[in-house]
Amino acid sequence: MVNYHRAFASTLALSVFLAAPAAYAAGVEAGTLIENTATATYDDGTGSVSVPSNTVTLRVDEVLDVTVTSLNSGPVSASSGAAVLTFEVTNIGNGPEAFRLTANPSISGNDFDTDIDDIAVDTNNNGTYDPGVDQILTAPETTKVLAAGEAIKVFVITSIPGMVLDGQKSTVDLLAEAVTGTGTPGTVFAAQGVDGGDAIVGGNGADDNATGSIIIGITKVDLVKSATVSDPWGGTSAVPGAVVSYTITANVTGRGTVSDLVVADIFPAGTTYTAGTLALDAAGLTDATDADAGESSATGISVKLGTVAGGTSHSVTFDVTID
Amino acid sequence: MKKFASTFAIALIMAGTLGVAAAPAQAQQKDIDLKGDVKLEKVVTGENGEDTVELVTPDTIVPGDKLIFGTDYSNKGTQAVANFVVTNPVPKAVRLAPDASDELIVSVDGGESWGRLSALTVTGEDGAQRAAAPEDVTHIRWTLASVAPGASGRLEYPAIIR
Repeated sequence: MVNYHRAFASTLALSVFLAAPAAYAAGVEAGTLIENTATATYDDGTGSVSVPSNTVTLRVDEVLDVTVTSLNSGPVSASSGAAVLTFEVTNIGNGPEAFRLTANPSISGNDFDTDIDDIAVDTNNNGTYDPGVDQILTAPETTKVLAAGEAIKVFVITSIPGMVLDGQKSTVDLLAEAVTGTGTPGTVFAAQGVDGGDAIVGGNGADDNATGSIIIGITKVDLVKSATVSDPWGGTSAVPGAVVSYTITANVTGRGTVSDLVVADIFPAGTTYTAGTLALDAAGLTDATDADAGESSATGISVKLGTVAGGTSHSVTFDVTID
Repeated sequence: MKKFASTFAIALIMAGTLGVAAAPAQAQQKDIDLKGDVKLEKVVTGENGEDTVELVTPDTIVPGDKLIFGTDYSNKGTQAVANFVVTNPVPKAVRLAPDASDELIVSVDGGESWGRLSALTVTGEDGAQRAAAPEDVTHIRWTLASVAPGASGRLEYPAIIR
């Protein structure tokens, strides 16, 4: 198509363009006019003459293309309630375009399918979902019009269904499709590009997807209590004067951690605590309420274990004497 | 040249409006007619899977596409013209294609100095001189000692949309 246009000098003074590495990379913006004019100068015998050619003008059409990238470094841990997956959607076309977003939780290989609640845009661009701040998209979920090269962060907000087990995984796929249309690369949508130019599907098909995963971390604490009896005569009879050594083992299992874990026990009736016998993992603790983790009172003991990761165990020991 | 003037007038009508009048064309008769055009180089894959290159009228063009800009010149006058020089600024939105002939005389500094691309240098972003690359070319120039009456020819350069 050869057009004869008025001069659009300002359109050409766009910016310094970098060399495009390949077809369908972002490149010059859609709607840019390419105007070519040659000028001849020559001597016709009477003097120097200058003659311009006609100006050949082409308008760069709009490439539709997008990338979707997961911004989660790995599976997102969750136990119940909401879990948020973060993605980046980038307009790699050369014109302004909006993209329709679809989150699909039914992915082959899932241990369970999480429930999709919403898709939200990182309005304040801080990379973290802020309820009430970040805009939740309404159906059909569609981004704003992104300029060529513009990227936005998008959150997929999901709810963990009940009856999930520790270690189970759920993958969610986020698809972005150019609103103008998608298809095999090279598909042309006539007159639907910038300034009435054509829109043409880029190398990714004007759509792209990425997946993010949620992994369930349910952490449990099991306490196991055991006792050994030593009577004054070297035997194991539970008689007055015999010493009972209690061991309480806290087994923490699961992928996550527990916090503020406290192991406490009450002395059995008819026994008396043997002062100075409280220990955690065989290391002695004072009976006083002080900086160390343990304390004892007239009625029982208490040991603060704090934050404990799944897969570890700790044992608390103390002795009492049968009255 | 009446022919040139009338062609230009048609072009003005197609463009709708234009503030600049075509008066200079009538003020002085021009013996040389220049006619520019552009083709899109399109790779067509045949049924046997072999690729052939076709030059087509550009319809849909996108970054990365290769264009051939051409200028046909002809001497419609009755006298030879001398020192015939055709200068073509390269539009900013395209770059000279890497397969352009090194016979082309080009400028990489806005038309100040000229030469074969392989003989030119530019100042890189780091301030150091480096060999000029096709994307650095700002102008192309063809020079003919003379063009005889009735003689014509075609000048071309390949470009890639940035």
